[in-house]
Amino acid sequence: MMPTLDFIRPTSTTEVLDVLDRHGQEAAILAGGTDLIPGLRQKAARFSGVKMLVDISAIEELRQIRYSDNGMSIGTAVTFSEILGNDLLSEYYPLLVKAAVNLGSVQIRNRATIGGNFINNAPCADSVPPLLVYEASVIIQSKRGEKTVPLSDFLSSPYQTRLEPDELVLHTLLPPVSEGFNGEFYKLGRRRGVAISRITLAVLLRNNSGKVGDIRLAAGAVTPVGIRFTDLENDFRGRDIIPRELKQMSRELGKRILQETGLRWSTAYKLPVTQQIFYQILSSLANSGG
Amino acid sequence: MGSKSIKFILNGKDVSVKTLLHRRLLDVIREDFGLTGTKEGCGIGECGACTVLLNGKAVNACLVLAGQIEGAEIMTVEHLAKDGQLNKLQQRFLEKGAVQCGFCTPGMLMSATALLMHKPSPTREEIQDDIAGNLCRCTGYKQIIEAIYETAYGRKKNSSE
Repeated sequence: MMPTLDFIRPTSTTEVLDVLDRHGQEAAILAGGTDLIPGLRQKAARFSGVKMLVDISAIEELRQIRYSDNGMSIGTAVTFSEILGNDLLSEYYPLLVKAAVNLGSVQIRNRATIGGNFINNAPCADSVPPLLVYEASVIIQSKRGEKTVPLSDFLSSPYQTRLEPDELVLHTLLPPVSEGFNGEFYKLGRRRGVAISRITLAVLLRNNSGKVGDIRLAAGAVTPVGIRFTDLENDFRGRDIIPRELKQMSRELGKRILQETGLRWSTAYKLPVTQQIFYQILSSLANSGG
Repeated sequence: MGSKSIKFILNGKDVSVKTLLHRRLLDVIREDFGLTGTKEGCGIGECGACTVLLNGKAVNACLVLAGQIEGAEIMTVEHLAKDGQLNKLQQRFLEKGAVQCGFCTPGMLMSATALLMHKPSPTREEIQDDIAGNLCRCTGYKQIIEAIYETAYGRKKNSSE
């Protein structure tokens, strides 16, 4: 059964901010509802204080994908179907689009929103590793003002973010990606379609005449929240792109993930798979020119 | 709190209903309008039995709330047959043995309808991807995929490759 809730459907962000200012503690923002609605019906602890739903799916300004000199901005209520259908995103941020392809089903992608995906902050949120390697930031508004927070800081712990009760995420900004990167997004689920991710990896690599010119690396599902490994990236820069080095880098990624998660029942399976996948991605990116 | 009146288009007709806004579209369709073709399976958006079209897009009616459909256009499986006559897609489902227990069929038909509206000539691969959100525990899917494929291309082009 759905608990009894107040429901409002504002038509402007100003209206949303007014409501959040007064009722932020007991209000939940609703967009696609693919996490929130089952969560409420199953009485998930994290939604236990919710007494009011604020539906933002009718607010046009939160549903825009815009291109500017600062990069691409994606409104918080943009659905994954809309991301899939956007040519500019496909061209400039292909890893995000690749993550969207295998996210849920058609029905889920037609409703689920990018903001919902990372604000819910499940460890397995598919959009997070690509957004992290693209250095996404989150534009947040409240009646107190507007601020921009890097996504990596915004995601604090599983199902928790730094969003305050009176705040609304307006959009996500993806800055321009410098030239020469090749990238890959990988998702492992228990089956091909409509699967919760067990492992996700997003990798951008710049091959500088046989050496790692630059690299960006993020993982999801194998870590408590999606995480970018900037320390590893620093270590990896300048290394020779030869099988022996790539294998060594994969082992280091495995060690780093273990540090992050500790041993789990699934470690025996996930760790070697993650290492092997990372090795394959590096090998194929190294060979795809650029 | 309390009930409010919402207006939307249901199967081509303007309708209005007084309801609590946090009720699910699935319950509004089944209980308030008596359209029980739309089934409830899992209730968490994984099985697709409650698939309806919302502004021409396939969605799980268990994951949409009444308050979110003000002014929207909803199509349910009841809209497919006209004057007691099954449409081409429904007929193909019967001919191909794509219906066994029938519980997934309404949702499957609506996913297929959305697919064929947006992509009249899908590949088999595209059909598989687009019905990935609709579980069927009887058929093994092959007959369903064939039924959709033959609806798109007609019977002449024999589909057994």
